[in-house]
Amino acid sequence: MSATAELPTKEAHVLKGHEGAVLAARFNGDGNYALTCGKDRTIRLWNPHRGILIKTYKSHGREVRDVHVTSDNAKFCSCGGDRQVYYWDVSTGRVIRKFRGHDGEVNAVKFNDSSSVVVSAGFDRSLRVWDCRSHSVEPVQIIDTFLDTVMSVVLTKTEIIGGSVDGTVRTFDMRIGREMSDNLGQPVNCISISNDGNCVLAGCLDSTLRLLDRTTGELLQVYRGHISKSFKTDCCLTNSDAHVIGGSEDGLVFFWDLVDAKVVSKFRAHDLVVTSVSYHPKEDCMLTSSVDGTIRVWKK
Amino acid sequence: MASDEEDFVFHGTPIEREEEIASRKKKAVAGASGNLRTLPAWKQEVTDEEGRRRFHGAFTGGYSAGYYNTVGSKDGWAPQSFTSSRKNRAGARKQSISDFLDEDEKADMEGQSLSASSQFDTFGFTAAEYSRKQVEKEQHERPSAIPGPVPDELIAPVSESIGVKLLLKMGWRRGHSIKDVRASSDARREARKAFLAFSTDENTKETSDSMVSETEVETSLDPQFSEDIKISESTPVYVLNPKQDLHGLGYDPFKHAPEFREKKRSRLSANKEAGFRKPLSMKESLFGPKSGKIAPGFGIGALEELDVEDEDVYGGYDFDQTYVIEDEQPAKPSNDNRLRLTSKEHDVLPGFGAAKNSDYSMERFNPPKIPKDFVTRHKFSGPLEAETKPTLSAPPDVPPPADNNLKLLIEGFATFVSRCGKLYEDLSREKNQSNQLFDFLRGGNGHEYYARRLWEEQQKRGDQSKLTIDVKPSSSVQKMTAEERGSLLGEKPLQRSLKETDTSASSGGSFQFPTNLSDTFTKSASTQEAADAVKPFKDDTAKQERFEQFLKEKYKGGLRSTDFNRVNSMSESARAQERLDFESAAEAIEKGKAYKEVRRATERPLDFLAGGLQFTSGGTEQIKDTGVVDMKSSTTYPKREEFQWRPSPLLCKRFDLPDPFMGKLPPAPRARNKMDSLIFMPDTVKAASARQVSESQEHKKETSIEEPEVEVEVENVERPVDLYKAIFSDDSEDDEDQVMNGKIQEGQEKKNEAAASTLNRLIAGDFLESLGKELGFEVPSDVPYQEGTKPMEEENKSRSKPESSSEKRPDRSGFKEKVEEKTSSLTLGSEDEKSRKKREKSPRKRSGGNDLSSPSESSGDERSKKRSSKKDRYRNNDSESDSSSDYHSRDKQGSRSRRKRRESSREKRSSHKKHSKHHRSKKSSSSKLVYSSDEDRKESKREKRRRRD
Repeated sequence: MSATAELPTKEAHVLKGHEGAVLAARFNGDGNYALTCGKDRTIRLWNPHRGILIKTYKSHGREVRDVHVTSDNAKFCSCGGDRQVYYWDVSTGRVIRKFRGHDGEVNAVKFNDSSSVVVSAGFDRSLRVWDCRSHSVEPVQIIDTFLDTVMSVVLTKTEIIGGSVDGTVRTFDMRIGREMSDNLGQPVNCISISNDGNCVLAGCLDSTLRLLDRTTGELLQVYRGHISKSFKTDCCLTNSDAHVIGGSEDGLVFFWDLVDAKVVSKFRAHDLVVTSVSYHPKEDCMLTSSVDGTIRVWKK
Repeated sequence: MASDEEDFVFHGTPIEREEEIASRKKKAVAGASGNLRTLPAWKQEVTDEEGRRRFHGAFTGGYSAGYYNTVGSKDGWAPQSFTSSRKNRAGARKQSISDFLDEDEKADMEGQSLSASSQFDTFGFTAAEYSRKQVEKEQHERPSAIPGPVPDELIAPVSESIGVKLLLKMGWRRGHSIKDVRASSDARREARKAFLAFSTDENTKETSDSMVSETEVETSLDPQFSEDIKISESTPVYVLNPKQDLHGLGYDPFKHAPEFREKKRSRLSANKEAGFRKPLSMKESLFGPKSGKIAPGFGIGALEELDVEDEDVYGGYDFDQTYVIEDEQPAKPSNDNRLRLTSKEHDVLPGFGAAKNSDYSMERFNPPKIPKDFVTRHKFSGPLEAETKPTLSAPPDVPPPADNNLKLLIEGFATFVSRCGKLYEDLSREKNQSNQLFDFLRGGNGHEYYARRLWEEQQKRGDQSKLTIDVKPSSSVQKMTAEERGSLLGEKPLQRSLKETDTSASSGGSFQFPTNLSDTFTKSASTQEAADAVKPFKDDTAKQERFEQFLKEKYKGGLRSTDFNRVNSMSESARAQERLDFESAAEAIEKGKAYKEVRRATERPLDFLAGGLQFTSGGTEQIKDTGVVDMKSSTTYPKREEFQWRPSPLLCKRFDLPDPFMGKLPPAPRARNKMDSLIFMPDTVKAASARQVSESQEHKKETSIEEPEVEVEVENVERPVDLYKAIFSDDSEDDEDQVMNGKIQEGQEKKNEAAASTLNRLIAGDFLESLGKELGFEVPSDVPYQEGTKPMEEENKSRSKPESSSEKRPDRSGFKEKVEEKTSSLTLGSEDEKSRKKREKSPRKRSGGNDLSSPSESSGDERSKKRSSKKDRYRNNDSESDSSSDYHSRDKQGSRSRRKRRESSREKRSSHKKHSKHHRSKKSSSSKLVYSSDEDRKESKREKRRRRD
C-alpha cells in the first residue's frame, strides 16, 4: 500500500478545451507546463498545475500526433497527419519552419538534448533528422532501415532509438556508427527510456510492455494486464524507475512494479482510450490524455 | 449631282472633306493661341486639336458645361482627396453613380425610389413587410390545396378594412403579431366582414379590376391593404410547415448556414414527390460517396481529399451528438410512414371508409422445431468413427505402469488398435483371454493407461484421417488446428522428430508452436547433414570442404562470416563462381531431399502422420524458403542484430560527437540498390537473389552486346568527378580495405560479380577506375580529359599477361617517353598500367582494318576494336577533324600532349596486343568468360597493387 501512496493516482485537474481526441500530452523540460495536441489540429499550452489553458497553436492541417518542447522552453516541434514537422516559437505562436519530406503521417517527434535537431518518426518507415540550426529544410539524415511504420522515437545524448511496427527497436549509435536492432516479434507502439538510461521500455501491440536491457538486448521483464491492441498508447517509467506506467485502451491506467511486474495500481482515468501518459520530470505527477477530449492531471 | 442628292434621305453625319478639317484645325489653333479665354464662360467653346467641339459633362451632355476645358468650377474636376497614412489606411473606394452626378441629376434620380428612411422605420416595418412578401411568394410557389390559380377576385383591392383600422387604433402595428388569439381571430373576422362588404359594394370595380395584377395593387393608393388581406391568408402558411425535426421550438439549425436550409428543403420536397426516402445525408452530399467514419467535428478542407487517415479510428466517442448536421434523420421514417398512411386513407373511394380491422393479416409461421437429438454434422459411419465416439471424452491421464515391457506392449497395442479399428481389440481380447499380459484389455492391470493411450492414438488418428480423407469436413465449431488448416490449404507436412511427437501428444494435439519451429530448424540442419553425405565435389577434397563450410554457414543463418578472406589463394571471381556452384549444388541436394521426403511420405503416409505435423507453404521447391522462415521465427525474441550505420557528418556535429567515419570514404549508396538491400537478408535468400541477379546480368550481357555505341558515347561524355570517385573508391576499398566489415565486403563482392558479368561493365569499370585514379590523385589538373581518349578495352586483355613476346615498335618518338615521365608524376603502378594500355594501341593503329575483319573475335571485342580503330584512325591523320563523333572532337583538345605519352609508351608494350587477342578469342561468350576475365582483371589489379607497394 505504501507503494501506491507515492503514485499519482489522485486527479488534480481536468484540462478541457480540445475538441475531439487528444493524441498526446507532454510536460515541458521542468514540468511546469504541458503541451497537448489532438485531432482538432491544435496544440495547446497549459499550466497543468493550475489547470489553465495558456495558448492555442493553430497551423496544422490535420490532426497533430506528437509534440515536444526544447529544454529552454523557447521552441517546440509538432507533427501529425499533414506529413510535416512544424518547428514553432512558443511565445509568438508562429511557425518558424516546416520540414517537409515524410511520405506519410508523422507519428512522433523529439528534440535532441541541445535542441539542434528534430528527429521525426513517420508512417513512411523512416526516421528523419531535421536541422534546426541552419535554414536547410532538407533532412540531415534519413534512417530508412525500418520495415514498417515507425511509431515512436527517443533520443539520448548519443543515440537515436526508434520503435517500429515491424517489431523492432532500433538503436542508432552515433559514436560507433552502429545500428542495433532488437526484434521483439510484436509491433512496437511506444518506446520509452528509463531514467538511468540502461533500459528501454517498449509497448507492444500484443498488450504487453517489454523491458529491454539496452546493452545486451536482453528481455528483462514483461508487463501485462492492460489492453493495447489497435491504438497508439503511451507507456513510461516513474522518475525513480520503480514503476512502469501504461495506458490502456479501456481508459484505465496501470502501474506495474518494475522488478516483479505486478500490477501495483490501476484506476480509471478516462472513459475512452488513454492515448498518452506523461510523467513529470521531477515530481510525482502525471498527465494522461484521452480520446474523450480531456487531459487529466494526476498527483499524489 | 444636286438632283441626286434630293432623292436621298441622309442618315448620320456626312464625312467631312479634307479642306474643312484643315480649316477647323486652323481655327482650333487660333482658338488655342488666341483669346477664347477672354470670352465669358458660357460663350467659350471647348475644342479638341481637330477643332471639333469637345464633349464635356458626362450625363446631361452639355457641350459647354463648365469653364474652358473644365467642369463645374474654375479648378476643373476636384480630385477625390486621397489620404493614406500608416494608421489610417485608405481603403478601396467603391464608386457609385452618385459620384458622377450633379445635384440636379441626383435629385432626379432620387425621385424614382421613395422609401421610408431608416430613421423613420421605427418598428422595422419595411423589413417585416419584405419578409412577409417573401413568405407569400413561397406560398404561391407551393402547391395549394385548391387546384388551379387562386381566383383573382379574392384579392381585389379594397380600402383599408375597418377591422384593420380598429386594430390600428387599438394599438396593433402592421407586421406585428396579435398576441391575443381571440383578438386576432376577431380582427380577421372583422377584416373578412369588411372585405365582403366592400366586395358587394364595389362589385363592378372588382370585375373590372379582376385583371389587375398584383404589382398594380401594390402601387395603388393603399398598398398595405392587400398585404393585410394576405396576412390573414398567409397565417396558415406556418401551419403548413409542420414540425418535423427534433429541434427545440424556434430553434433554427440553419441560422448561420442558410445555404443548407435550401438543401434540406429541396430534399424534403424531392422526398414528397418521389414518395420514398432516399438515404441521402448531408455528409454524403458534401463529401461525396466516400464512406468511412470521418473524425468528428473536423471537416477537411475543400481542396483536400478525404483519406484513410481521416477516418475516426477512435470510434467510441460520438461528437456528432453535439453537432447539428444529422439530427433530423431519426424523425424521418415516422414522417414518411404517416404520409404513406394518409395517402392510403385518401385513396379510399368516396363514400367508402377504410375498414377499421382488416381481415387480411400476415400469417406467420414458426420455424420448424429442430429435434433435440439432431446433430448438425453428418457423420459417415465407418470403422474408425464408430470407435472414436465412445472415447470422445478423454480418460484421465494416468502414469504408465511400472513394468516397462507392459508399458511398451500397451503403447504398441494402442497404436495398433487405433490404426486397425476396435474390431482388432475385441479379437485380440478373445484370443488372449488366458494371456496374462493382455490383462489390460479386460480391465486388469494397466487398463487405465491403455485407455488413455488408445484415446491419444485415436485423437491422432482422427487428425490424420482428416488429412487423408479430405472429404470429411472439419467442424466449424472447433478451433481450427494447424493440421486442419494445412490440409485445407493443401500444405504438405514435414517430417518431425519423435521427441516432438511426444510433446504434441501429451498436450492433446494442441500445438506448441515455438518448439515445432525450432524442430524444423534442426531438421533443416539435418538436411544439411544429408547434403554433407552427398558430397557433390568428391574429386576435389578442398572444394568439398569449402562446400561443407558453405552449407554450414548457409544454415547457420545470420550474416556471412568474413572468412572469404581466408581463402586468399583464390581469386574473387573464382570464388564467386565456386559459390554459384555451391548454391546450385545445395539446391539440388535439397531438392533431392525434398523429393525423397515426399516420396517417402507418399509411400508410407502413416509414418509421418503419426508424429505431429508441420506444414510448409506448398510444394517441394519451397522447402528452402521455409527453412529461412523457420530460422527467422525460431529465434526467441528479442533478437538482437547489429548493422553498420553511418550517421551523416552534420548529424554528428549537431550532437557534438566525433564522426566515427571521419575521413573514411563515403560508403556505397545503401539500400537503394537492389543488391545492397540483400545485405540484410538471410543468407539463403541473398544467395538465391544473387543468383538471380547474375542470371539477369547474363541476359543483360547478351543484350548489351548490341549497344556498344551508346556506351562509347557515354564514356566520353564529361563525367562529374563524384562518379569517378565513387567508382574509384569502390575499387580502392576492394584493394586496400580488406578489413572492412563483412557485410559491406560481401555486398561489394557481389557488386564486383555483377560488374564482371557484363563485358561492358567490365570495360567501363576499368576505364573509369584508371580514370578516377588519375583524376583524383595523380594527374596534373591541366589534362583532365586525357583519359577519355584512352581505349579502355584493352586493359583487361593486356594486363593479364604482362610478360609476353615483345614486338617492339620503335617507330615513333622515344624521346617522348622521357617527356611523359617527367611531366606526369604518376606512381609506378598506375603508370605502368597506363603505358601498357597505350602500348596496345600502337599495333592496332598499324593494322586497324585487319582487326576489324578478324572473324574469330567475339562481338564485344569487335566492338571495342572498332572503337579503338576509329580512334587510331583519327590519331593517324591529325589534321582530319572527325566531327562526326563528338567524343573525338573532345579528344582533340587535349590530344597533343596526350598523344606524346601514348606514343612513347606504345613501343614498349605493343606486343601485348597480339597475345591478348589470342587470349580473348579463346573465350566464348558464356558466363564463364565473364568470370575468367574478371579474374584476370582482379589478378592484374592485385599485381598492380603489389607493384605499387
